[in-house]
Amino acid sequence: MRAIWILALNTFKEVIRDRILYALVLFAMLLIGFSLALGQLSFAEQARISANFGMSAIHLCAVMLAIFIGSNLVYKEIEKKTILTILARPIGRTQFILGKSLGLALLIVTMVSGLALVLCMVFWGLQVHVGLRFVLVLLGLLAEALVLLGFTLLFSMVTKPLLVVCFSVGIFMIGHWQGSLQFFAERSQGRELKVITWVVKYIIPDLERVNWQDLILYEQPVELAAKMWSLGYALSWFAFCVSLAVVLFKRKDVG
Amino acid sequence: MNLLQVRELKKSYARGLLGRKVSVLKGLSFSVPAGVVTGFLGANGAGKTTTMRCILGFDFVDSGQVDVFGGPLNVAAKRRLGFLPERPYFYEHLTGVEFLQFYAHLTAPIKKAELRARIERLLRRVDLLFAKDRPLRNYSKGMLQKIGVAQALIHEPELVILDEPMSGLDPDGRLALAEIILQTAKQGTAVFFTSHLLHDTERLCERLVVMKDGKGIYEGTTEELLNKSGFELEVSFLKNGERQLVKVGTDIEVQSLLMKLLNDGAKILEVRRLRLTLEEIFVNMAMRGGRT
Repeated sequence: MRAIWILALNTFKEVIRDRILYALVLFAMLLIGFSLALGQLSFAEQARISANFGMSAIHLCAVMLAIFIGSNLVYKEIEKKTILTILARPIGRTQFILGKSLGLALLIVTMVSGLALVLCMVFWGLQVHVGLRFVLVLLGLLAEALVLLGFTLLFSMVTKPLLVVCFSVGIFMIGHWQGSLQFFAERSQGRELKVITWVVKYIIPDLERVNWQDLILYEQPVELAAKMWSLGYALSWFAFCVSLAVVLFKRKDVG
Repeated sequence: MNLLQVRELKKSYARGLLGRKVSVLKGLSFSVPAGVVTGFLGANGAGKTTTMRCILGFDFVDSGQVDVFGGPLNVAAKRRLGFLPERPYFYEHLTGVEFLQFYAHLTAPIKKAELRARIERLLRRVDLLFAKDRPLRNYSKGMLQKIGVAQALIHEPELVILDEPMSGLDPDGRLALAEIILQTAKQGTAVFFTSHLLHDTERLCERLVVMKDGKGIYEGTTEELLNKSGFELEVSFLKNGERQLVKVGTDIEVQSLLMKLLNDGAKILEVRRLRLTLEEIFVNMAMRGGRT
């Protein structure tokens, strides 16, 4: 566990000292700031528009971090051969993958928390009370980012970063459109779409299960038990992908 | 006692679109004893780096056996082992001190005060104390190589494996690194390293392992290899006011030549034993196909 933590801290430090992260944070801050201006376009729905835009900014930032940094997380170590000096130490390949994932997960949590604080100030300025609902929305965002990180890690075991990004963006899009896909499949006459939808349901996670922004936007009731199940669902996908990534990594020549 | 024992190592890689198997190691065997500097030589593509990768478990062997400290490479063995890869890239965001702390913590728990003292001692030894708080991205190539050696030594290993530690260094850097290797060996750590710089290898290594086309073609002491290749004796003398040089092949020949010259009234200036350098022997063995 100690080794995993040391690797995680190093990964955290590595990304936090990277300029790309600051560009991403700046981008998210600008979006949040822009949400205020955008809200003013509406007379009656200013708070809702600002909240929607602000939360989407955090969502986008967390997803981009998971996919773009995640796609290079192990690949860069192998390409630059920094992995060699790590694996020559008493570190197993499982520990290596877990340490790297934990480091990036920590970073996503830190960044989402920081941006959430900024959004809280926006909410405070707009006199919107959010409380537990906002915390749940953030947990949902983090769970989604973890699922995407898991898939990104898994893809990076078998292909190069550019393709990893493409595949992960695909998972992100299909993951959010599963509901629509099923809707169309049910109304479709052809069998093919039904089969595809059935397969997709089992091989791609339904990311809408952890998209809880409606809790704030439409003040939906908080069903805590259902939310916890959905969190468990997302974390299971993350654990499954990371485990599979570990299995593949254990068979990989890294020299 | 052998710290590293490699037996009948075979490794092939799939190349090209069709995944054609290319054999890189074809039954390599050698050993590295404790407390000495062993050089690992071979032409480009002979399989040195592949051997290193297989020894350290980065790549999986097809067949054969690697024993490190008398057994398979496990966590306990890795604690006693240091490694510097070829053309090392390190975490550029870390400073020199952070970098060494990171690797020390990864190897084993260590008290803060002890680690601080060890890092300071090591940085002084590799002459990088002045740059200890600089990020590695600001280090020169020579400095990176030295900090790389320092990370390989931070946990005070019994065996250090260095892959081309001197490549790309200027003469000063090479000299400094050679000094570090010698000091390390003096302190009882066995050093196993590959190098293309045979002059340095000849000076540093007590033992040599030479490979060609994935197989070992020599294993033994450097001295033995140099002596095996034979020598010449060069006699320099003054005769009739003229300086002359004569080369002979054996001790007996030189005795009779000296007697003759003295009888003729010549003045003997110098008798030198000439032998092939390691570079010449290596070219003969590894490039032209000779075998010792």
